[in-house]
Amino acid sequence: MSSAAAQRPNGLALFILPSALLFALFFFLPIGLMALMSVLTGNPVVAPKVAFTTRHYARMVDDPFYLEVIWTTIRIGLVTTLVALAIGYPLAHWMARIKSRTGHALLLMAVLAPMLTGIVVRTFAWMTLLSDKGVVNQTLMSLGVIGQPLKLMYTETGIVVGLVHIYVPFMVLTLTGVIGRIDERLEQAAENLGASPLRAFLEVTLPLSLPGILAGSLLVFALAISAYVTPILLGGFQIMTLPILIYQQISANFNVGFAAALGIVLLMISLGLVVAYNRALGLVSGQRELQ
Amino acid sequence: MQTTASHSPSLAAARQAAPARTAGSVRHYGRYLYLAVNIAILIFLLAPIAIVVVFALNPTPFIQFPPVGVSLRWFEKFFASRDFMHALGFSLEVAVLTTIAATILGASAALALARGNLPGARLIVATMLSPLMLPAILTGLALFQTYVLLDVGRPTWGLVAGHTLVTLPYVVRTTLAVLHNFDTRLEEAAQNLGASPLRTFFEVTLPLIKPGVLAGAIFAFIVSFDQFPVSLFLVSPGNETLPVTLFNYLKFDLDGTIGAASVVSIVLAFVVVIGLDRTVGLRSYVKL
Repeated sequence: MSSAAAQRPNGLALFILPSALLFALFFFLPIGLMALMSVLTGNPVVAPKVAFTTRHYARMVDDPFYLEVIWTTIRIGLVTTLVALAIGYPLAHWMARIKSRTGHALLLMAVLAPMLTGIVVRTFAWMTLLSDKGVVNQTLMSLGVIGQPLKLMYTETGIVVGLVHIYVPFMVLTLTGVIGRIDERLEQAAENLGASPLRAFLEVTLPLSLPGILAGSLLVFALAISAYVTPILLGGFQIMTLPILIYQQISANFNVGFAAALGIVLLMISLGLVVAYNRALGLVSGQRELQ
Repeated sequence: MQTTASHSPSLAAARQAAPARTAGSVRHYGRYLYLAVNIAILIFLLAPIAIVVVFALNPTPFIQFPPVGVSLRWFEKFFASRDFMHALGFSLEVAVLTTIAATILGASAALALARGNLPGARLIVATMLSPLMLPAILTGLALFQTYVLLDVGRPTWGLVAGHTLVTLPYVVRTTLAVLHNFDTRLEEAAQNLGASPLRTFFEVTLPLIKPGVLAGAIFAFIVSFDQFPVSLFLVSPGNETLPVTLFNYLKFDLDGTIGAASVVSIVLAFVVVIGLDRTVGLRSYVKL
């Protein structure tokens, strides 16, 4: 910090105001209103008599369908996170340890390319791969491996595959930073003392990268449970998740109050994850002050 | 024993290690397995993008594999479609407005956070980055409800405000990264030499933080251009962004037009990213 002596805000502090205003008007106010709407019987602007109610939340608890939706959302999030970790770790490790600059740049491009492709486009790509007449089924059938097309789309598996593809770059980028900071000489020391590369990895690198695993997993989980496009297109409107249900309540049922209550549930899950993520990041980079 | 480079299981190391047979073949198999797994993962990451290009060029009006030929008919259909062209134009408009707003707000916020001696700066940074972690669909829902309650309709500025909220964190982060890395004595020196704070800002601080601000701006543009969940709630029928139009099209049709539209947006994103890499360098800004 520039002048540690003067801890009072200076003139530059005023530059925070426009962003503060944006957040107040377009973030805190709307989320506050959403919380309010979730405990009201109707829209206070158009409806004449509006009272407080807990019925939106009661509906969620009473009807097993909604609990099932919440559980499906969390289940898809968990499986996506685990698979993204299993796929992301080797790639992150390679990226962190590769010596050649060009190699690193190419790997980085390969990881960033899917990120820059847009969720709708990537979901379309998986539809062309996984549908009954898609690439995977056509290839397997022409090779004679299967006689009937496999049901890959409109299943949870299909959704997970699509979500993993979309969110694994976040896992890789989080892990690469952490693995890159682990001193390579620790692994070398373990190997010089007779450990196999595998054992050196399992007993040295893996435990030291645990904070990154935690941070990456929380990030991917938070993103996966709030996904909308991929579950709806790859699930073919047959598998219901929380974001799909929320949008349906708004667009088809016009039930703003119930949508708000569902939103608050999703918000609570996410807030819990944000707190955990910040803790994990704190573990990752105790030395950095801001961000 | 191999002692140096071979401990790092990288491509280069594997190549160096290859002639040294004494270390035992198990170790080599391990390294080949490591490479094989990683190459499989890269294929998983990149194949879907390649497939999109294949379908954009394949002339049949339904998904067919292997492709039967090469044609540009889907590109013609895409560029001839009034809906798609309108959506593309609207997306670009929203992305440009969002980039301007997010860059100005984000860069000034970062400046205040790094130089303003603000109390609770850590908490403010965490708050400003929170739209990255909170489900964007919630931001869309909450803004939608607010606009309904305030009876403002679905104006373009409302959409831009939503996009600015979710792109601001990128600008704040890249600008903060630069601000933390440069020597504040440069600013002090300018002031000691008689420059006013304003002149110091424009002649010293701004040129130095420019790469970070620029990187953030480009991220903001790409994120806004591809943004879906916030737009889903805030666009009005007939005035939709490209991702929303693509999504609505995908619900009913699965022909090559989507592929062509995808290729156009991929190319656009890549042009922007290559521009980013050429001007400021990617590597230092993508750390999460």
